[in-house]
Order: sequence, then structure tokens, then C-alpha cells
Amino acid sequence: MITLTPLKQFKYPIHAECITPETFQGKTASEIAKLPLNEGNKPKQLGDLFKIEESAAEAPNIIINGDVSEVRHIGQGMKTGEIVVNGNAGMHLGEKMAGGKITVNGDVGGWAGSAMKKGLIEIHGNASDYLASPYRGISEGMKGGKIIVDGNVGSDSGCYLRGGLIKIKGNAGPFLGYHISDGIIYVEKNAASRLGANMVGGKIVVSGVADELLPSFTVDAVKPKVKIDDTESAQGPFYVFLGDLAENGTGKLFISKANNPQIGPIYGKYL
Amino acid sequence: MPVFNSVTCPICGCLCDDIEVTVENNEVVKIKNGCAVCEAKFIGYKGEHRIHTPLMRKDGKLVPVSMDEAVHAAAEVLANANYPILYGWSSTSSEAQRVGVELTEEVGGIMDNTAVVCHGPSILGVQEVGIPTATLGQIRHRADLVIYWGCDPWSAHPRHLERYTSFTEGRFEKSEWTSYMQKLKAGAGKKKLDSALRSGLAKGPVPKPQACYVGGVPPSLSKGGRKLIVVDVRKTMTAEMADFFLQVEPNKDYEVMQAIRALVKDQELDVDSVGGVPVEYLEAVADALVNCEFGVIFFGMGLTQSAGKFRNIEVAIQLVRDLNARTKFMIMPMRGHFNVTGADVVQAWQSGYPYGVDFSRGYPTYNPGETTCTDVLLRDELDASLVIAADPGANFPKRAVQNMVKHPLIVIDPHMNATAMLGDIVFPVAFVGIEVDGTAYRMDHVPIPLHKVVEPPEGVLSDEEILKKILEEVRIIKAQKAEQEKKEAA
Amino acid sequence: MTELIIKNGFVFDPLNGINGEKMDICVKDGKIVKTVNEHRAKKIDATGLTIMPGGVDIHTHIAGGEVNTGRMVRPEDHVKDAVAKTAITRSGTGYSIPSTFVTGYRYSRMGYTTVMNPSMAPLEAKHTHEELNDIPLLDKATFPLIGDWWFVLEYLQKGDFEGCARHVAWMLDTTKGYAIKIVNPGGLESWGFGRNVHSIDDQIPNFCITPRDIMVGLAKVNKMLNLPHTIHLHTNNLGLPGNYQTTLDTMQALEAVPNDGKPNMHITHLQFSSFGGDGWGNMKSAAPEISKYINNHSHITADMGQVIFTDTTTMTADGPFEYTLYSLSGHKWVNSDVETETSGGIIPFHYKKNNAVNTIQWSIALELALMIEDPYKILMTTDHPNGGPFASYPKIIAWLISNKARMATLKRCNKKGQKKSLLPTLNRELSLYELAIVTRAGQAKALGLKNKGHLGVGADADVAIYNVNPETTDIANKYKTVRKAFRDAAYTIKDGKIVVKDGKVVMNVDGKTMWLDVETQQKCEVDQDMRQKFKQYWTIEYDNYPVYDHYVKVPEVIPIKASV
Repeated sequence: MITLTPLKQFKYPIHAECITPETFQGKTASEIAKLPLNEGNKPKQLGDLFKIEESAAEAPNIIINGDVSEVRHIGQGMKTGEIVVNGNAGMHLGEKMAGGKITVNGDVGGWAGSAMKKGLIEIHGNASDYLASPYRGISEGMKGGKIIVDGNVGSDSGCYLRGGLIKIKGNAGPFLGYHISDGIIYVEKNAASRLGANMVGGKIVVSGVADELLPSFTVDAVKPKVKIDDTESAQGPFYVFLGDLAENGTGKLFISKANNPQIGPIYGKYL
Repeated sequence: MPVFNSVTCPICGCLCDDIEVTVENNEVVKIKNGCAVCEAKFIGYKGEHRIHTPLMRKDGKLVPVSMDEAVHAAAEVLANANYPILYGWSSTSSEAQRVGVELTEEVGGIMDNTAVVCHGPSILGVQEVGIPTATLGQIRHRADLVIYWGCDPWSAHPRHLERYTSFTEGRFEKSEWTSYMQKLKAGAGKKKLDSALRSGLAKGPVPKPQACYVGGVPPSLSKGGRKLIVVDVRKTMTAEMADFFLQVEPNKDYEVMQAIRALVKDQELDVDSVGGVPVEYLEAVADALVNCEFGVIFFGMGLTQSAGKFRNIEVAIQLVRDLNARTKFMIMPMRGHFNVTGADVVQAWQSGYPYGVDFSRGYPTYNPGETTCTDVLLRDELDASLVIAADPGANFPKRAVQNMVKHPLIVIDPHMNATAMLGDIVFPVAFVGIEVDGTAYRMDHVPIPLHKVVEPPEGVLSDEEILKKILEEVRIIKAQKAEQEKKEAA
Repeated sequence: MTELIIKNGFVFDPLNGINGEKMDICVKDGKIVKTVNEHRAKKIDATGLTIMPGGVDIHTHIAGGEVNTGRMVRPEDHVKDAVAKTAITRSGTGYSIPSTFVTGYRYSRMGYTTVMNPSMAPLEAKHTHEELNDIPLLDKATFPLIGDWWFVLEYLQKGDFEGCARHVAWMLDTTKGYAIKIVNPGGLESWGFGRNVHSIDDQIPNFCITPRDIMVGLAKVNKMLNLPHTIHLHTNNLGLPGNYQTTLDTMQALEAVPNDGKPNMHITHLQFSSFGGDGWGNMKSAAPEISKYINNHSHITADMGQVIFTDTTTMTADGPFEYTLYSLSGHKWVNSDVETETSGGIIPFHYKKNNAVNTIQWSIALELALMIEDPYKILMTTDHPNGGPFASYPKIIAWLISNKARMATLKRCNKKGQKKSLLPTLNRELSLYELAIVTRAGQAKALGLKNKGHLGVGADADVAIYNVNPETTDIANKYKTVRKAFRDAAYTIKDGKIVVKDGKVVMNVDGKTMWLDVETQQKCEVDQDMRQKFKQYWTIEYDNYPVYDHYVKVPEVIPIKASV
């Protein structure tokens, strides 16, 4: 196990693609200290920015103790092993992750879990915008794996989702699940406007209050519950909406009936 | 008294190039063909806020210094910075913008332009879904349905309608100017009567303000000739001229457009109204869109800066894309600054990315939200700024400006604008398009030459020359530093 | 000035009949000369190496409004290919639409020294030239899109070929262009209202004229103007199954413009115009029919338009075709019509090995290259980036010289596509001599570039030296060696200076932009005519339209005396 402790409060962005279990594997602490990375526009080494300590413990592979909200790309592309961050983590956490586990005891920046294929990311604080959403111009998102956020998420999360599960225990910002084609997003609390815009498949479940739905969704039925994954189902009853009609989509929104009394008067007549 | 023809106006994205400028004793004395804003700039550019010498802040005050001292100080700041931002670029020539890329690359910083607070969302939308568009002449020759959505050209791009859309003569469509004049005259009579009734000068029932959607869909949507539709949250001057004004609730443009998309695809909606607009009006608009020969949507800050931002542009483009299955339809952003398009164009051809380009890793990277300078400022990740041909001191969010002034600020501008007043090193420059030649790119990406009609004030250089001086000095300082480090290592 | 001698290499210089002869090449003041002072001259020991003239690319979209919009809309294309700054080179991004500096470096590293940007909307010509200025290490030229220009349509409709010729000359001068580019003639103007043409005898809406009239008319104009290249054509119905018939009709139509047995038309990216079948389900190669015609006639040259299995970007002036691709793929689509002149479109496209149609497309270009007997008639291109990035040229070289290489790729392709490919029946393998023709000598000849594509005395000293020993290498078997050699040139010499060594850029030089200064007899009258009519056609002023001299950083003006 390697423990990294920031040597100062970071101000300039640091791109730390080198912080993955695979990269550290088989290296001594002093070899790890020599790994190159940038701090702003200055080329540095990992040892210039972090105190690096090695211990015999097998897991987790990497622990980061401190505020690393300016440290980006932690865990990028990792396939195995575990990273624990005891602090806030920067953007692009676990981007392109293909296995293993990342736990953040704090908040994360934008694009956490972007292009994820497999693995587990647990964020015990809040996530910023673009959680699990792909880079600009790419229309394929998270393919598999699981992301759990205890707090709230920002806007445009889960865009182009095509597999896997995103579970948000707090509130979700606007455009959640934009153009989702498969996979499930589960929001235990409230979901903001433009939920599921351009959705073509998949499921978004909201157990709290949903802002006004897009006019291109049509109400279909009321269901008593909905399966989230093999371990859990969400208890309804839920209004089930189909859409997005603007894309001739067949995605489903499950909106809590109890917490959304405003839906009945508008859509009730179609049920 | 020399008279210059075909002068290009250096103000807005219309880039009108038919301005006639009369010069006497190196002063512009008369302007023909320009709008009021054009005339104001050409006649008034020499105003009291003009800077004539380089300035540096010493003991809290900006004092005149020599060019060499200012260049060296600016170069020191940039050469030593860990994460500088070089922002602005939108009101200067593509020739200067090219030097800007080279300088930013040399100092390993971020090059960003005013799109970041203006049409950046448009670029983001285009990067998601593309854009069916054309040059403005195609609109002039062919468009029989013109829509201004979330923009007010009458105020912001005054000659847009007379040069490119409803009031121009095209090969296949005629100008609607006469019928607009007739409508105005007819309306004027009614306006006078209503006013008299309200003030009691005439006898009769006092007219109440009419709710927007009363009395059915207006017949003007099925008339011949060019049609003009304006969509906005309030009745603007442009809306007054429209054949149909669609008033939408603020921050509901996304819903309205998504609804129209569904209607164009012959879907049925569960709801009766969207964004304050009854669905039958949306159906009439959808019909008009589908049945035109050649339609176009121009859009502005009403879409880019309201809730949804780049997704508003995305859905507008998706609507236009969907319409191309039924008819010919184009869409175009109403770019603001006269060469913000050029800044995007130059940055893209030299680096691959249009704005928010980060060179700190030795190669260009781009991720709006991460590498855009407003965000870098809000997170206070920078340690120096250079601002040129823009005024973020006046336009940026307050906290961004507060963070900007915490660090050395270099300003390159003809005027003592809000940003210059906060600057530490200030360079005066000549006005591009009046005192300096160059090239600019119109809102539809057409390159148009800018012309020099008068000499700049004594000793005042161009943006391009100042940037080149700073770049050269940066290279000297960096070479000296490298030499020093080599000696110390040995 | 500098003298250079390249000693003892195997020289392939087809235009001068030199086929692998061991000889020295001498350079002085940027030109090939007969001898130099060997004591003074810089020496390159080219023992065991292959020497060819610098590469010439007749058709590659690298600069201008459309290319740049392509860059702007595809950040995801660049993010996977970032290029760092060095002491000599600028930074940039690459993959399918490289930024300008990277374009120059990457071509030069493959031994290329001259490139043609084949599509320039005249209204945006300044933009094209500004970008060409920022492409280092290469000489370049650009072709204005004139086929659907309203002046051309109007003059040809009246049958006034001389008037048309003089206006075309005006356009070449004004935009500093090199050749007449025609794309989907008639289709671009039709696309102005969302329509297209479907045969060369369709009437173009609003203009009583047909695509046949445009092509034949401009071929006549080309002759009257004595232009160095022929008309450069992208055919009607490009990319549609069964379109080979339109291509045959087009080639037959041009028999009406005799040119002393010399070519009168160049068909670009011929692969896209050689589809048989009548739908995507039964689409097949029509390379046999097209090759047969070209083998039996002398008035056509062509370039391949090879498809590479990768995620690339399509961009052409063929607006309706790009829309068709959008309907098929649903990818992000850009349309960019230009008033009075042309249309355009951009859409990303991923050619996949497991796709039958893409496999057949990949095969068609190679079939054409192998079935057309005279290599001067079928030149190597990908129509960058439409078929694939130009950086893939070494792959195509391997396929051209080696049946083994072709079969290795083919057997990994879609099974249905494999069955339809004619490559298993074609054993021909190009020699290095023929390779030199399809990548430089033939390209320069078709373009009418007198000082390019050969190493005779007086030619520009643009030389490529490759790490292939023709005496000891069985190139068909060792195609991987050849591929590597042509990817990283041992040396690239531009204007007599060594700019690349072992595949790395070692010196930065500006290239030249070549353009034609066409002198016609009634230049004054044409200027007046244009000035009077200008406002009716365009939304900018007459005085602001031309590409003024200062827009071309390093010009090479080629004076042409027209016969009108």
C-alpha cells in the first residue's frame, strides 16, 4: 500500500494520470516519487508534490490523505486494485476506468467516472457536473460499472449512458441522463429540469420531487416498484413516462407518485 | 479630403464592408451607410479615454513608462508564470490572433476569447451535433422564412435585416421593406388613437393591453413573400416588425423547441401548453417551418445564456437538422464582437480547438469548464493574466474579476477601459479597422479585410507589434533562465 | 549558396526514365543541377537507399473554411492525438484533421514536398491562403470551386464559352488559384434549395443547363485558358450504388473535347464513383467497367480515394452527399453552403472492417490501381480526410506493392465483402518505379507542374530518401519494411535543405504557394463587368473580395497566356 500526502495546498492544476494501481505496481516508493507529472506548466515529479510512504498492507493499493481537489485524472484507466481518497478529489477521477474500486471520502470535481467500462466508484460527498459523461463531441458514455454518490450531483450527469448503474442518494441537477440509451440512473431525492432529455432507451428513477417534465414525454402507466439491480428495487408507486418523443425514443422515466402530486392533474386523464 | 470606399466596420459580427469614410487632417469627419453604432465608433474613437503611452502601476498608481520597460516587465510576468491566462482577442485582427497563439504556446498558458461569455455554448452545441448553416448571401437570395430566436438585431446588429434577411433583395426572394412600411403606417394610426383614448383626448372605451395568444393564429404566417418570426421573452424592437411574435417564458426555450421537434415528427403531446405557449400555436409554427422553401433561425444570448446554455443551442440545431428531412433549413449564431469568429477560427487552425485552449502541458488541450478562463478565474488557479481586445473587468462575474486582480494583470487596449483601470502594465494600441489593417471573420465565417483610414497617434503601435515585442522578450528571458539553470546544475 | 550532393543512391525518376540506377543527385541554390563542387558541397551518403523526387499529393483537404470547421466540430478527434512543441516545431493536434503546423510536419516526414488543397470556396479564399501560409515544409496550391458558380452557369447557358473563360480566368487570379474544381456539377446549386441532380442530363432548377453542359463547357474553357492541369472533377451521384454508370456517362461526355490525345479531365477519388449494384444490399465493385474504359481512352486521369479502416471525417463541397451520409449514420452533420458559389458538408465516418460495404470500398480503390494498366492514369490518394488520414499513405503503399499485404488485410474483413472483392484475382504488384509514378511523377505530370515530381536538371530540389535497398529487398514480401521506410523518411530535402532526418523534422522552412496569373485579352472589360454586377450576387464589396498579394506569404506566380 502507498500513502500519498500532499506537501502543500495545491493551487495550479495537476494532471496525475500516473496515480493508478497499475502504474505503482512493482515500484518502490522512491521510484514512485520519480513519476513525472505537470503542476501548472511546470514539469515536476510526484515526490515534489506528495510525501510518499510505503507499507506492507495489501489493500487498498493507494491511499491519498488530504485535499486533492486540484489533482486531476486520479485512477484514470485503472483495471484492478483500489484507491481511497480521504479528501476532495479533482476532475476526471476514474476516467476510462475498466475495473477495481475508487472510494472518495469527500467531494469530486467534474467528469468523474467519464467513459467508465467496469468497476466501482463510491463518492461519499457531492459530485460536480458531467458525472459519468463523455468528452465533448463523443456520443457514447459510460458502458458499465457502478457509481454511487451519497450527496448531490451537478448538471449533465449520466449523459449518453449505455450501461451500468448510477445511484444518487441526494439531488440531481438538470439534464440528468441526457440521451441515455441503456443502463439505469436512480435518484433517491429530487431531480431538476430537462430530466432524460433526448432519451432513447434505459431507465431513470426518481423517488423524490421531479421538476416539470419535458413536453416530449408521454405518460404510460403506474407501476408499484421498479428493479434497480440484482440487489435492490425502488418502492413506488411510480408514474411511468415514455420518451423522448423528439428522438422517437423508448426510454422510461419512473417518477414517484407520492412526491409529485402536480403530475396527476396534468397527465392523469391519459391513465 | 480623401474618401475611402468599401471600408469594413469594426464593431459587430455583421462586418458591413460598404462603409464610406471621409477623412480630413487625419480625422474621420463623415460616415455613409453605417448604422448609428458604426458612426459612433468612427467619429468618437479618439475620445478622452484614449491611452497614448505605456503605463505601469507604481505605488498603487498607473504612471507613464517607456515601451522597453513595459515590454520587459510584461515578458517577465509571463515567462515566469505557472498558469497564465491570455484572454480577449475578439476585437483585433487574425494577424494579431496568430501571434497570440504563438505567445500562449511559448508561455504555457491558456488562450481564451470572448466566446467564453457569449457564444461559447453555441460552439459546444455544434461540437455535439454539428450545424446546418450557410453564408449570409444564401439567406439573402433564398430565405422565405426568417426566425430570430433570443436575439434582437434591431438593437445589437442594426443592419442585419437590411443587408442579409427580410429587407434585402435576393435572386429568388424580394425585400419585405415596402410591406413593413405599410404595416407601420397602418399601425401608426391605431397607436395614435389608442394613445388618445388612454389619455382621455378622444372619447371611447380605454383599450386594455392584449394578452399575447388571443384571437387565434395570425394569418400573417400564410402570406406570400418573406416571413419574419421573432421568439423572445419580451416584445423587442425586432419583434415589433415581425409577422409573428412568439412570447415564451424565460428559461423555457428548451422545452418549446423540444415540443416543436416532437410535433415536426408528427408526435402528439400530453400537455396543452409549453413555456407559456398554447400547443396550437406551436403547431402553427411547426407547420410554417415545414412548409417554407428555405428557412433560417438566427439566435443569440437569449439561448446561450439562459438555463440550458449549450443544450439550448443543441436542441435548436437538432430541430433545424430534423427540418432538413422536410425542407431546406439553416441556423446561425449572431456573433457579437466583429472578430470573435476570427479568434475561434485562428485558434482552431493552429491548435485544433476554438477557445479555452490550454498549452500548459506542452500541447493543446481543451475542456470548457476546466480550461476556460472564467472557470480558471473562479477557482483562482492562475497566477497572471494578459487581456487584449476585450473588457473582462466590465463583463466577467465579480468573483472572477476579484481573483484576476490578485495577480499581475497586463492589458493591451486603445482605451482606459474597466480592465485597464485595474491593470498593472498597460499598453496603448491602435484601433484595428480604423488605424491598422488586418483581417476579420464575419459571423458566417467569411473573411473580410479591415482597412486603415487614418494614422494612429504618435508612438502607438498595433496589437500585432506589441505582441511580437513581448514574445521576443519572453524568448530572451527564457533562454537566459535556461542558461542560468544549466550553470547551476553543473 | 548551399550545395548538396546525394551520393550513390538508387534513383527512381520516371519522368526522366531512370529506374533504380545508382547515381548521384546534385543540388545547388534549391535546384537540381548537373554537378557541384564535391569538396564544398554537403554530402549525404545514400548507399543502399532509395531516392525519389519529393512526394506530390494531387488532392488533400488541408486548409480553408470547410477543413477548419471540421477541426472545430471534432475536439474528440484531436484529443487522442496531441503533438507537443519542440525547439523547432510548433504544437498542435492531429488524427483525421491535423492542425496546420502538424499537417506540414507529418507530410514532410513521409517525404512529401508538394500538396494540392482541392476545394476552396472563392468567397473564403483568404481563409484558405492564411492557413496555407501556416503549413510549413510544403509547397502548395489550391483549386477554387467553380462548377456551380452562377457566372459559369449563366455564361455556359448562353453558350458564350469565351466569356465564361475570361470570367474563370478572373476567378483564378482573384482567388490565387491553380485549377478549375468541379464538384457534383449542378448538384451544389440544386442543394441551395435542398435538391440534387441524379444524372448528367438533369436540368438544374432555376438555370436551364445540365451537368453535362457544365463539364464539357469548363473543359473547353480549360483548353482556351491553356491551364497546366485539366478540370478536376468530383462526379455526380458520388457514393451511391450503381453510380459507375454516371461515371461512364461523364467520361464519354468528355470525348467531345479533344485534346491531342492528352487528358482533358481528372476524376478525383475514383473509388467513390465506381459502385455497382443498385442498393446497399447488393452493392459491388464496378472497377472492371471503369478500368476498361480508362485503359481504352487517353483523356482521363484519376486518383484512387483509398478507404482506410478507421474513424475519420468526411468533408466535401458535395452538400447533398454529406446529407445522405447523415441520413445513413445519424452522426453530427455540418452543412456549409456558400452564396453564389458552392455548397459543402462535413460528417464523421468510421470505416469498419466488419462492414461489407466498407470492405468493398476498400477493395475498389486497390482494384482500380491494379486494373488500370498505366500508373500515370491512377494516382495514390485517400481524398484526405474523406477516405482516411494522409498519415496512412504508407499502408496504401504496402497494399500496392504487395499482394501478401492485401490478403493479410482482406482476410480480416467482413466475409460477404471478402467474397465480393476482386483482389484475390489480381496478382499485380507495383514496382518502386511505378510507386514513384503514382506518388510523385504521375501526380506532378497530371498537374502540369514542370519543376516537381522529377529530378532532372532544373527541377526544384525536393528529394525524398527512403530506407529501402531495392537490390536486396524483396519489397512484396517485406512490405512491412517498406511501410516503415515510407512512414519515416531517411531524409526529406526541400528546396535543397535537409528538413527531415530519420523521420524527424530538423529544420523549419516556409513552403511556397503556387498560383496562376492568367492573362486574357479583355481583362479590363471583365473587371468592369464584375464590379457592376457584384452587389447583386454577393454580400461583400467587390474591392474586398480578391486575395490581395499580402495574403500569400511566399508566392510562386505562374504566368499563363490564355488563347482568349
